Formats: sequence, structure tokens, C-alpha cells
Amino acid sequence: MDTKRKMPVLPVEAYTSQEWFDKEQEIIFGNAWQFAGLVEDIKDPGDYITVQCGLQNIVVVKGRDQRIRAFHNLCRHRGTQLLRAVGKKQKALTCPYHDWTYDLSGQLISVPEKEKEFPDLEIDKICLHKASVDIWRGMLWVHPKPNAEAITKWFDGCWERLGPHDPNRLIEYPDSVYEKVINANWKIIAENYIDVYHLSHLHSNTLQMYDHANAEYGFVGDHYLFWEPLSKDYHENLDKLLPFKRIKEMTEEYIGAYVPWLFPNVGLSETEATWSVFHAIPLAPDKTKVIVRTKMEEMTDWEYYKKGIKSYASWHGIMGGDTKYGNEDSDDPMASGDFMAEDVYACEQQQKSLKNPLFSIAATAKHGESTVRTFQGIVERWMSNSIKEG
Amino acid sequence: MKFHTLKVIALDKPIKEATTITFDVPSELYNAFNYAPGQHLIIKFMVNGEEARRSYSLNSCPFKEEPLQVTVKRVKDGLVSNFVNDQLKVGDELEVMIPQGRFHAAIEEDAYKTYFLFAAGSGITPIISILKSVLLASPQSAVNLFYGNANQDTIIFKEELETLVKNYPERLTIVHTLSDPKVWTTWETWKGRKGRIDAEAVEWFITNHPPIAQTTEYYICGPGAMNTGIRKTLQELGVPRELIHIEQFGADTSEESNNIKAVDSIVSVSLNGENYKLTVPKGKTILQSLKEANLNPPYSCESGVCATCVAKVKNGKAEMKACMALEDEDIAKGMILTCQSLPTTDELSIEF
Repeated sequence: MDTKRKMPVLPVEAYTSQEWFDKEQEIIFGNAWQFAGLVEDIKDPGDYITVQCGLQNIVVVKGRDQRIRAFHNLCRHRGTQLLRAVGKKQKALTCPYHDWTYDLSGQLISVPEKEKEFPDLEIDKICLHKASVDIWRGMLWVHPKPNAEAITKWFDGCWERLGPHDPNRLIEYPDSVYEKVINANWKIIAENYIDVYHLSHLHSNTLQMYDHANAEYGFVGDHYLFWEPLSKDYHENLDKLLPFKRIKEMTEEYIGAYVPWLFPNVGLSETEATWSVFHAIPLAPDKTKVIVRTKMEEMTDWEYYKKGIKSYASWHGIMGGDTKYGNEDSDDPMASGDFMAEDVYACEQQQKSLKNPLFSIAATAKHGESTVRTFQGIVERWMSNSIKEG
Repeated sequence: MKFHTLKVIALDKPIKEATTITFDVPSELYNAFNYAPGQHLIIKFMVNGEEARRSYSLNSCPFKEEPLQVTVKRVKDGLVSNFVNDQLKVGDELEVMIPQGRFHAAIEEDAYKTYFLFAAGSGITPIISILKSVLLASPQSAVNLFYGNANQDTIIFKEELETLVKNYPERLTIVHTLSDPKVWTTWETWKGRKGRIDAEAVEWFITNHPPIAQTTEYYICGPGAMNTGIRKTLQELGVPRELIHIEQFGADTSEESNNIKAVDSIVSVSLNGENYKLTVPKGKTILQSLKEANLNPPYSCESGVCATCVAKVKNGKAEMKACMALEDEDIAKGMILTCQSLPTTDELSIEF
């Protein structure tokens, strides 16, 4: 192993090599609870979605008894992928190849030309391979193993350190999904999310409504939990500055931003006006698709419009500030005034530099980047534990 | 099975036509009287010089520091239920067997489960025990209860359930349904759901109260026809049979026995290596007739729970008023509990 170049815990190749990527897919993503969507994504019996868990594709479907089941997306006949993407109100699950059909509980129910072609096949003994699925905090979670540990055990100790939000109650407005393929390894994106040191610097003019100096953070199991208070100016003028309706549960007692990173690849952002889930899906060693879905209080179009105008009009007067590097170039992410664009830029630049022979990490911040070192240590532990077991 | 003497320390009326009996368990019997929520007691009563045994589900919660309680609803012409409601007194002593029964919920502290509970009338007694146990001892699990009654006045534990909903708003949902709501009451008109817990109601309930935790269990307690109806609907919706648990009312429910077309029957019995022939008059159980003929048949609870009196039908037919001790497969093989069985053919042949 290249001992000279570390990130600083994991080797550089963990972020660049296909071999590392494939192993992570198998060892981490094949053995962890994964975000699969929001509860409302499968509303009615027969609705389904498909999710990639490492090397395995999983179907999540709602039964007529309102229970959600998860199966490996693989026909028991000859292994063809059974279902594509998403679907609504299926009565049964039929493989496109030879029309073998399963009911919503995964049981094989019909095989064309059964008598002639499969006279001895015992249909009732064949069922799709089962996976685990559960609901936690308004989200669907799947695990490729049929008897995974309880989701509440996986997230043990997290719930009580999250916001008072009830995601089930909040509304996701149409066209509010952010989706982007970022040219960086998924861990670079995770590390950016949990890097406390960068908040006051990269985002000096975009996240100034929070008081980064008084943030509280740490790990619970393999999950990272973070909370920070509102900045004084923002807090005092909250009603004028809030871009959307205040979340009902966000009383003074709870106010602040709750921004955890749930291992391995999901960030939440629970704030005074929004609830978002940030899903980083690894595509290649240097490519990650990020999907951010945001929910908020129910608002009429008019309320939404009014709130936006009021917030915009007040923002400059009270919060001051400008973009990181002025306004001269509107295509420059550093001048966009958008913290997401700033992060994407920083991540992609770091990934690029990994190829530079001069790349090395001189030092990492004692406090503000301790989170990055801990995260890398967790990934390292997962990879080495499983290799030993395997 | 042994009976223990327990003293009645309180009698309360959760509704006008039911009585809750609270027992004092002496400290040396504490361990023996441990129970799982959903289990019942078999109690021996002496009514007018006659011995009668009945089984009653415990409505108390084993995870709470509270004494054992059963609740007895008055049944028209019911020997024991009228005795309990009219004559039993605080300080009386009753003969009680230790708690038993296969209908009970395993409560795990770490579990993340959704419990669907269905109860009708006094079927609430084991169900409320399960409900309270989940809320107290399985803090991440949730309960959805569907509770059917005749009218506003027959809802046992109404206030207690209301308090529980207030204390656990995120974990407990209760839907009442009344088959025959009173139109004129002094306090309110019924705005809730009407009708019995039939197939349509079960599907409506499940659809409108989907589980959060996806590990689910289903507990049903009511008259036999309702139980099998709910189970059938759940299975049609795709609930695996092994997740559905059923408890039938004890023998005190005359409703069940009324549906049996019993006849006078000549019964041949093979018992203790001897063969006997006797007449079992219409409406009398086989066990009663055997006892009266001093044939010394095996029995214990006389409530359809313990299976001590089990026999096999060789010829003819008999139907059971209640049966909590046999699986459907056993019944299909011709097994009967003689304490609950009424012959329905002119001739019947059984073997112990």
C-alpha cells in the first residue's frame, strides 16, 4: 500500500481505484441499511420502487395489507431483472423474459406452459429472495440481507439528537428535487458534508445564518450528528428572513440546524423552515449522484410567494454580505451565492488533485476536521473487519 | 394442574354490566403467578352448591406493579357471570389455577414492531393487557386497536383507553365501532364508526392505519365467527398466517353454543380400556354426561383451554362451544374437547 499518501487516514487509492470501489460496494453497501426513498413514494398496494444496494438491486413493494416488502430484483427462473425503476398499483410482479409471475409477497404464482415445460416444478416452494425493509423517520430503508438487525438498532442513539420535525407531515413540492452527478468520490462528498472547519470559510456568505462557532457535533456509532444555533442577527429577525413558513415543531426550545450524516451515504438537514434528505449514490470511483429532496410546511402558492419576497427584501439589509468572490462572473460557482455550488466546486477540485503527483495533505484541523478523520477510520474498520471475516 | 386459594381484594365496575375482580397473590406464589400478556386464569366457583370452572383472561399488565385482575361481563342466564356480578364480595376466596394459555404476546424491549389488535366486547380483556404491555415495555413499538361493541354503554375500559391515547399519542391509535349505537344518551351522540368488525371494516382499518414499523403482529379476541372472519380477511390481504393470533371467548358466551344444532345422542365411549354406551341429552356436554354417570373422565379446566379432556371422534359428529386448546389441524383429525362438545348426530362414537 502507498504509505506516503493518505487522506489522512484512508489511502488515496480509496478515492480513485476501481478495485476499492467494487470492494466498498460489496462490503459496505451490501451490508448496511440504505436510504430507499420517502414513505409516500409507495402509497398504494402494488406501488414499487427499485433501489441499488451495492451490487444488488432491490425491489420495495407495498402489499394489500399495507406492509412493505423488499425482494432482490432477480427472477428465480434465470435471474433476469424483474422490474424496472418505479411502478404503480401492480397486481402482481411479472418477469419480462418468460412471464413468470409472483404475487406481492414474492411468492411465485404462475409459470406459462407449466404442465408441458415444468411438470415437476413445485410453484408454491419458489419465492423471490427476501431483503429487509423498514420505515424510520418518514423514510424507507432497505438492507440486502433478509434478517438484518432492526433499523432502530442501526440508528440507536440518533433519533434523540435529531430535530423535532415530523417528516411525515411535511410537504414535498413538485420540481423541488435537486439532482446532480458530481465528479468526485462519494467519500469526498461525505467528508465535505461533515467538515466543520469549512463552514465559516467556503460558505462565509451563504450559510451565515448559523453560528458555526457554537456548533455541537460528534459520532454516535458510525453516524455523525451535528447541531448548530442560529446566528444572532438571523435569530432576532427570523420572521422577516425565513424563506418559508417556520416548521411548527421548531419552537424556541429546539431552534437550530440539525445536520447529521447517517452512515454510509445519507445526510439530513433539519432546519427552522425545511427538512431535506441528501442521498449520495456512488456511481464510479470519481462519480457520485447526489439527490436532495426537501419538505416543508404546507403553503398555498400565495403564502410561498409572499414569504419569498419578504425574505429576499429583508436579507441584504439585515444579513449584509455578498458572494464569496463578488458578482463579476455569474457562471463562477464561488460567485453564485449558492452553498451547494460552492461545495460541488470544492469536491470536484479535490478529486482532480488526487491525480497530481504533488498531492499530499499537510495537516488536518485539530477540531473542525477531526470528523473527517473519524469518518475515514469508520470506513477503514468496515473494510478490514469484513475482509477478515470473509 | 393445581388450584390455589386467592383472596378477592377489590371489585370494580368498568361498565354497569361487568365486574373486575382484583386478586391478592401471596408472596410465596408470586413466581408461580407470573404471566405473559394475553394469558388467562382458570377459576373454580361454587354457585348454589354446584362447582363450575371458567377461564377469564387477565386484563392487568404484567409489566406494571399491579395485582392480577380479570373482568367478567354479565351474560344472559350465565351461571358464573351473574354470580360474579351480583353475589361475589370483597374478601371472598376463590380457587385459581396459575396463568396459562397460548394466546400471548412476546414483548421485547428492543423490538420495533406494529401490533394490530382486534377486540369485540369482553374480548378486550386479554387485548388491553397486550396493549399496555407493548406501550410500557417495548418503547419503540406502536399499537393500532380496533374495538367493537354493541353500544356506548358496553365499552369496557373506555376511560382507561382514552387516558392511554392521551399519554401515548404517537404510539397508540384506537378506533371504536358500535354495531347498535344508542341514539339518545344523556351525554353525546355517537359520531364514531358504526357496524361490526367485518371484512370491509378490517380492510378499511388496515388501509387507514398502515404500520410504521414493518414487523407486524395481529391479535384477535372476540366471538368465534368474528375471529375467523378477521383472520380470513387478513390472510386475503396477504398477512402470513403465523402472524395472526386468535383467542376465543370462554364457554360463558351463549352466543356460540346457540349456533350449534345439538341433538339427543347415543354416545359410545372408549375410556380407561372400557367401552361404555350412554345417552347425552340435547344441549349437555359429553363431559358433563360422563361425570354424571361417574365414569371418571379426565378433565381439568372445563373451559376449553387445557386439553386434559381431549378425545377423538371415531364416528358421528360433535361441535365445540369454544376451543382454545386445539389447532385447526387437530380438529380436522377429529379431536374434540369433551368439556365443550355437544353431539350433533343421533349416534356418536369417541375414544379417549
